[in-house]
Amino acid sequence: MKAIRVQHTGGPEVMELAEVPVPQPKPAEALIKISVAGVNSIDGHFRDGSFRTPLPFIPGQEGAGVVTAVGRQAKLVKLGDRVAWSGTLGSYAEYVAAPEDHLVPVPKAITDEQATAAMMQGLTAHYLANDAHKLKAGETALVHAAAGGVGLLLVQLAHAIGARVIGTASSEEKGKLAREAGADEVIIYTKADFEPEVKRLTGGKGVDVVYDGVGKATFERNLNVMKPRGMLVLYGMSSGPVPPVDPAKLSEKGSLYMARTTLAHFTATRQELLARTSDLFRLIEDGRLKLRIAKKYPLAEAAEAHRDMEAHRMPGKLLLVP
Amino acid sequence: MKAIQIRQVGGPEAMALAELPVPQPKANEAVVKLAASGVNFIDVYQREGRYKVALPFVPGQEGAGTVTAVGGDVKSVKAGDRVAWTSVLGSYAEYAAVAADRLVPIPAGVTEQQAAAVMLQGMTAHYLSHDTYPLARGETALVHAAAGGVGLLLVQMAHHIGARVIATVSTEEKAKLAREAGADEIVLYTLADFEAETRRLTAGKGVDVVYDSVGKTTFEKGLNILRPRGMMVLYGGSSGPVPPLDLIALSVKGSLFVTRPTLGHYTATREELVTRSGAVFGLMAAGKLKLRIEHVYPLAEAQRAHRDLEGRKTTGKLLLIP
Repeated sequence: MKAIRVQHTGGPEVMELAEVPVPQPKPAEALIKISVAGVNSIDGHFRDGSFRTPLPFIPGQEGAGVVTAVGRQAKLVKLGDRVAWSGTLGSYAEYVAAPEDHLVPVPKAITDEQATAAMMQGLTAHYLANDAHKLKAGETALVHAAAGGVGLLLVQLAHAIGARVIGTASSEEKGKLAREAGADEVIIYTKADFEPEVKRLTGGKGVDVVYDGVGKATFERNLNVMKPRGMLVLYGMSSGPVPPVDPAKLSEKGSLYMARTTLAHFTATRQELLARTSDLFRLIEDGRLKLRIAKKYPLAEAAEAHRDMEAHRMPGKLLLVP
Repeated sequence: MKAIQIRQVGGPEAMALAELPVPQPKANEAVVKLAASGVNFIDVYQREGRYKVALPFVPGQEGAGTVTAVGGDVKSVKAGDRVAWTSVLGSYAEYAAVAADRLVPIPAGVTEQQAAAVMLQGMTAHYLSHDTYPLARGETALVHAAAGGVGLLLVQMAHHIGARVIATVSTEEKAKLAREAGADEIVLYTLADFEAETRRLTAGKGVDVVYDSVGKTTFEKGLNILRPRGMMVLYGGSSGPVPPLDLIALSVKGSLFVTRPTLGHYTATREELVTRSGAVFGLMAAGKLKLRIEHVYPLAEAQRAHRDLEGRKTTGKLLLIP
């Protein structure tokens, strides 16, 4: 089969198209013929070596396709099932062998492209709005990078809940996307400092929750724009890691809460994974959650997809088609 | 009137009995004839100069008594009302002038001594268990310093909610007190490592919440025995301040939540102050919250009260009676 292979870590150019054997499913695995694979920032972290995995490897963590073979202990899926997954390395390929308990069934009304786009980023937006902080109607949320992959979905979910959403974005063009997704207010942070802007927009009261996937560049100022007893959810660090935080600061700034979350802890049981994905699929089916597919690339152009992702020039989901 | 006065900061001897004029109420204040004044660690910190107060001053942050006069703008209380308060300086005296909106009514069934004893610690235990992390029946809480002032009240409230309580204490004598308050499991941290013990007692699952007033010596281990998505509530630092926290640890240890609350943010509005104190008094009047008043000293013996508190010989509340 064709697959993207990384023999040594580095820039996008280390990803090369290769001919490799089709993997064999282990007893509790299923073999899937991939119709579409998702491109995520974590793929870049594995590719450049900031996250480690044995070499050589096939990158890619998520996708959708059809089950073509199952291991002898597999019970949850069967031949011909349409499935999607995230958290399985090896998805930039024509086939992948995945643990069957990572696989979620894809309903008829959902395309493979939609299913893939809903996995990592959709699941992340879902746990942020519903569990990391249970957002309520009437609350105000600050969403950083509101036109990013997670951001655009989180803004829609927050808006649907009835929260007031303040989004930050780097350009007018991205600001427009955030507004279309349901952001009530948009701050173009390249033109205005978000701290005084959020204070002004909340009449000095601050926000109930900050969703921050940016990290280093935004962290400190977040603490100044939160209501007493507000929640800061740090779910990524696209600008770099946040330096260590003195807990006394949380008390001085208003008995604040802080969490550093990752998706795996919010899809830890099969039950939770299925509940979350079926909720997302229903929202997509109803038209309440719109997925923005920014671009589809042939598998061979994975390097270009990574370049576009890392330059943040394609708001929305990037997909590879084998 | 008689009052304790501090002219220069220092040891217990810095506190001298003095004859001072009875304070006159400002427009928004009421003058209260004190029946009892609570002794707290914050009084020691202010006496030592660790927390700065303009000199000379009358120490004491907590009291209860009867209103004798009110300022022109005061409508919420009148002469003859039985009231209590906390977080207002000047209670080591026969009379204190207090902003009327900080005074809460004492219901029938609660004595002034009980009210003075429960304001700070009782409301602290209440916000910790009901708001900072609203405990639910069936959840497991780890309470450090469970035989301390807040600890004993927190254990009782958690027990009444129906939570399982694991309590840490330093001696067999304190273990007995914690058990009587409703702790399900006791860890004598002087004999056993609480991290290993808590892991064993929860069959490796960890606790839903850690209530930690100890800080430096317990914080890190506390993170290790939280379940994924569990909550660390750091509300004091009796062993010293917690060093700056690496946020990656929160993610690696299970998408953990951390907060550093203080009472002020949980009694910020008049409505919340009255509701919270009312709830605490209600529990006392119903016999559901037992308070250990360990020693009652005449006002003139404030020095001895501080020496006893600082010597950590006490396990219950200390009061001064003018």
